[in-house]
Amino acid sequence: MTTQLSAPPVLSTPETHIFEDPTPPSTTHTLPRYTDDELWDVYELERTAREIREGGYRRVALQFPDGMLRDAPRVCEGLEKAVGNLTARDESSSLETSFNELQVKPDGHTAVERVRFYILADTSYGSCCVDEIAAEHVNADVVVHYGRSCLSPTARLPVIYVFTTHPLEVEDVVRTFENTFPEKEEKVVLMADITYNNHIPSIREALVSRGYKNVLAPEVIHDPSSTIPNRKVDEGIDLKSYSLFHVSDPPDALLLTLSSRVKEMFIYPTTNSGPQTAIRTNTTISLRRRYALLTSLSTCPVFGILINTLSVKNYLSTATSIRSLISSAGKKSYTFVVGKINAAKIANFSEVGGWVVIGCWESSLVESGEFFRPVITPFELGLVLVGDGKRLWDGDWRGDFGGVEKLVESGVVEKKGDLEEEKGEEGEMDEDSEEESEPPEFDLRTGRYVSHSRPMRSSIPTPSSNIENESSPTAASNALTRRAKGDLATMNGAVSPGAEYLRTQRTWTGLGSDFHEVEAPQTIEEGRSGVARGYTVGEGEERR
Amino acid sequence: MVNFTIEEVRALMDKPTNVRNMSVIAHVDHGKSTLTDSLLAKAGIISAGKAGDARATDTRTDEQERGITIKSTAISLYGNLQDDEDLKDIAGQKTDGRDFLINLIDSPGHVDFSSEVTAALRVTDGALVVVDTIEGVCVQTETVLRQALGERIKPVVIINKVDRALLELQVSKEDLYQSFSRTIESVNVVISTYFDKSLGDVQVYPYKGTVAFGSGLHGWAFTIRQFAQRYAKKFGVDRNKMMERLWGDNYFNPHTKKWTNKGTHEGKQLERAFNQFILDPIFRIFAAVMNFKKDEIPTLLEKLNIKLNPDDREKEGKQLLKVVMRTFLPAADALLEMMILHLPSPVTAQKYRAETLYEGPPDDEACIGIRDCDPKAPLMLYVSKMVPTSDKGRFYAFGRVFAGTVRSGLKVRIQGPNYTPGKKDDLFIKAIQRTVLMMGGKVDPIDDVPAGNILGLVGIDQFLLKSGTLTTSDTAHNLKVMKFSVSPVVQRSVEVKNAQDLPKLVEGLKRLSKSDPCVLTFISPSGEHVVAGAGELHLEICLKDLEEDHAGVPLRISDPVVQYRETVTGKSSITALSKSPNKHNRLYMIAEPLDEEVSKEIEAGRISPRDDFKARARVLADDHGWDVTDARKIWCFGPDAGGANLLVDQTKAVQYLNEIKDSVVSGFQWATREGPVAEEPMRSCRFNIMDVTLHADAIHRGGGQLIPTARRVLYASALLAEPGLLEPVFLVEIQVPESAMGGVYGVLTRRRGHVFAEEQRPGTPLFTIKAYLPVMESFGFNADLRSHTSGQAFPQSVFDHWQILPGGSPIDGTSKVGQIVQEIRKKKGLKVEVPGVENYYDKL
Repeated sequence: MTTQLSAPPVLSTPETHIFEDPTPPSTTHTLPRYTDDELWDVYELERTAREIREGGYRRVALQFPDGMLRDAPRVCEGLEKAVGNLTARDESSSLETSFNELQVKPDGHTAVERVRFYILADTSYGSCCVDEIAAEHVNADVVVHYGRSCLSPTARLPVIYVFTTHPLEVEDVVRTFENTFPEKEEKVVLMADITYNNHIPSIREALVSRGYKNVLAPEVIHDPSSTIPNRKVDEGIDLKSYSLFHVSDPPDALLLTLSSRVKEMFIYPTTNSGPQTAIRTNTTISLRRRYALLTSLSTCPVFGILINTLSVKNYLSTATSIRSLISSAGKKSYTFVVGKINAAKIANFSEVGGWVVIGCWESSLVESGEFFRPVITPFELGLVLVGDGKRLWDGDWRGDFGGVEKLVESGVVEKKGDLEEEKGEEGEMDEDSEEESEPPEFDLRTGRYVSHSRPMRSSIPTPSSNIENESSPTAASNALTRRAKGDLATMNGAVSPGAEYLRTQRTWTGLGSDFHEVEAPQTIEEGRSGVARGYTVGEGEERR
Repeated sequence: MVNFTIEEVRALMDKPTNVRNMSVIAHVDHGKSTLTDSLLAKAGIISAGKAGDARATDTRTDEQERGITIKSTAISLYGNLQDDEDLKDIAGQKTDGRDFLINLIDSPGHVDFSSEVTAALRVTDGALVVVDTIEGVCVQTETVLRQALGERIKPVVIINKVDRALLELQVSKEDLYQSFSRTIESVNVVISTYFDKSLGDVQVYPYKGTVAFGSGLHGWAFTIRQFAQRYAKKFGVDRNKMMERLWGDNYFNPHTKKWTNKGTHEGKQLERAFNQFILDPIFRIFAAVMNFKKDEIPTLLEKLNIKLNPDDREKEGKQLLKVVMRTFLPAADALLEMMILHLPSPVTAQKYRAETLYEGPPDDEACIGIRDCDPKAPLMLYVSKMVPTSDKGRFYAFGRVFAGTVRSGLKVRIQGPNYTPGKKDDLFIKAIQRTVLMMGGKVDPIDDVPAGNILGLVGIDQFLLKSGTLTTSDTAHNLKVMKFSVSPVVQRSVEVKNAQDLPKLVEGLKRLSKSDPCVLTFISPSGEHVVAGAGELHLEICLKDLEEDHAGVPLRISDPVVQYRETVTGKSSITALSKSPNKHNRLYMIAEPLDEEVSKEIEAGRISPRDDFKARARVLADDHGWDVTDARKIWCFGPDAGGANLLVDQTKAVQYLNEIKDSVVSGFQWATREGPVAEEPMRSCRFNIMDVTLHADAIHRGGGQLIPTARRVLYASALLAEPGLLEPVFLVEIQVPESAMGGVYGVLTRRRGHVFAEEQRPGTPLFTIKAYLPVMESFGFNADLRSHTSGQAFPQSVFDHWQILPGGSPIDGTSKVGQIVQEIRKKKGLKVEVPGVENYYDKL
């Protein structure tokens, strides 16, 4: 090693890092390092240590996003020190009061057992999410999550969030706010990216002091399905009458969600320094693109469910409900668990027509042309499956998958009902209607009819017949079974769409499959026969 | 009162030799619907008095209001010949009795609706071509004739609006004759241009009775045969000989009482037989009636053996003229006679049409059934269009039985346009609910329909979008998909005013797409609901239907736009290389432009992915100068597996190449659907795969690695090959008097138009100007032209070709084209700058 690394190595290549990290591109490499004091401040070491101490955690996982990884050792060191300090202080203050206890517990130094810290980096999922799996590998009791967070509720471990507050020119924000909303009566929701959230109370105070009466600053909660994601909003408030003032650029999913719910939305950019003007957001075009994307899937027969998280609460139940939603629409779904999504992984399954992401709600909106097939969110899937006859697109959009269960409850019932009704009608019309095909569906993307868009529709499970088959003793010996050649795997009587796809769409079926290109042999004709003196052609011909 | 019953019609259907399926085709405003009226009046469907004004086949209110036909309308009529003698004149085909069933389709004349004509032609065997005496053969006359001949449909001609020549232009007899013969000449020029050996010589000649003359408005028409019949008795000569004498340079010399073909006798001009024997009585009637010579009229009528009702005798002027002429020369008789005698029956026509109609081999049961028009063969039925029913959202499938017999309750295989035998795509099985007879705006139920007839079907509309094949044979191929002479190049996007109405709009768009053979409705990648049509008028009608009928909700409609195509104008400057994400596979590719002729052949369906690859290679090598090895190694067409872009394998000895073919093809379809410049579809590009290196393990060269890579290398090669943008161009034909020509030129120049032909119509002050006009510049062209020529110019625009948008490279943001590209990208919500080649090109 001749040169020393000036920065931690980039562990994940940007190319494959499609699930973009919602944190703004890390400029930290060029920034001067924090001094010790700043470090304690930014990483809130005191508070963290206190919470660790109060929780009595022994094994602590520290999860850093890539951009902050270089501070990790110092933070770790600092935490150890802070926890040590706390323990020491505790011990000294409680020495006398708990003297008796100590007496009772002769094995007292378990209480002062050293807290162990582990640094987690390069998470398999988005760095805004808590990587519980990695934490469980080290048997951690608690995860301290640093940096920007999507605040998705976690399933297993307690989490201490440290948002690593960024500095903000409060004066400038207030001035921009005044320029944006000259009217003092204006109803405004004040909101900031989680890394700027600490400044919100001071901004609000400054605004109230300048005469703004209707400024709302909702507090942070862990609820992505709230009307304003992760912020507490009272039931009675009609957000449509409010404008929203957002400090720093929100990630795409949040932007779409927010702007669909408020009257107007303004963003105070924080990317460059100096006086700013708030940008009015316009999400019409991106919402339109989403609409195009999801309508293009309305005739898609096979969906892939991408499970992109293992830590967000309810992900399993959501996956189940999405699966039942898809199958009740007569379509087929396959489930995949992936870490970070990239184009190569998606394109490996060409039989899948569209993908649904169950993951961190902020990053499950994938806006990229690089993917072979569209990738949509569970909410959008709901719209796809509701059918052309009922689909509404009024600008409402949500990134979380909270609504899916509700959809399943209402949607499934409807779908099943529809199905039965249709079947009923057909059945009455004439006897042998089972043989008749389902009508094709209109593909909105191309303007053509697509057949077989619901391959699983005919597969209404028939348990009775299955049991019959199993129980009925066959006369012939069943030691040998005939291998049905060329038959495809069937599920509940319907051919597996994946297998069907491979059979019909794939031209390469292994070596020797290109034989048919060879010309057919010519028909055999009778040639000459005889000896060189004279040959005969055919029968009874004269010699030549 | 309708003078025939469904039972009679049904009985006639069993005698396919006595069926005539025909369509009425012509240029716009030459009087198709008006002429059709006289046939309907004859059949008793409308009253004789109304004929000519009612335009009964224009069933829609907007057709009546605008005075143009928009949808083709079918009607079945019963006709008979007066005399057994006439039967003898039916040359070359058998007949059975004097009663005939005529299935007639009245088609629209405006270019924007010529897809309707195509759909009508497919189900008919003969065509009545209507030509205006004064305007002569116009652009649309030529187009529809060409289409008809392409479908192997035999034409007969009627020269219409003769009354105008007499009343308005006051032409002399000889001038009228000259004008007739010129018109017939130009029709024959068109016909002989598209000569088809199996159809034989189908040029029209008045002396053979394949040309009629008349006036639809006044309800009269004649053929030379009719007059020949009258005079044959008088002169005591054979009728057929008489017919020949009544046209061309034949004269009756009154001095010698002999026929001659010299125009003079002792220095004096003789009168042409046609003028003397045919035009003269007509001219006399006109003169007598219009000049109110009341005393002359009765004698004249008596001479010509015309008997009038007492009521009618009281009439005067034009009214009287109408009645007299209608009684003298009823249009329906002339037309019926011409159609029955000279148009082929299904039995005759299907013999030579079978091979052009059927996609499969000529010796399978389906094709033999079609050839023989066999009602007992397996069913072969082609649905050519959908006709809306009174039940909203449902349609009659309108088509023709080519073989077999179709009846209510019959379970059929419905094969959509993308069906390939042996596969399940686009194949449905369904019982036909009902069969009906189409009678203009009404339908009559009928139990079954045998081969050779036209009908409507109920209950299969959900399975076919616009057209398709119905059969009962498991092995039958499709009947050939219709190719339209117009393409939907003009687009407008629609959105609902009220978000709650969206499902209704979507449903409406589906219905609209069904109801018109040509219109295309889809959602663009930028999320707009787009309706694409052949021209402004077509779109206007479609959108009106959509708003008022199909969707029934208030809509916001954007200005018309055109869709561009991306192409390349040169060969890639270097071989493009892209590596797969795992860096283990490399694709090398070169893009080059495809010959315009090849692209056109592909778009016309003459070179298609369904062809046998050897036959296709032959065509490419012989007609387009391709290398045979290359031509045999075309991997696929794209976008949508049928577009005018080709992927050609030029690699030598690459291992595992067959294995990655599917992945590369997927990438190719993807890339050609959304090109590198503005994510518009690509056109007329040829991509050559030069070399491929692949990882030895199959897992590392799967679709995931290769599909994105194929797309990237295609983009890289296209960007390296001087990309260009193609815009659609209309061929505009304008009829204008000389005095207004300046205005036409002015308007054309301002709109980047380019005139390439200008000719005077002989005998008229009218000029025909032909020009190319970019579709983008054509919006509002008609109105502009009208105002600059004080309404004297009549333009007809039809999509002709694609041309490179001039004004620089699309990649260069400062050029004019570059700005258009940036505008498109912005509208689509993409990054404004075109991504450079370095995004797709990998260094070795």
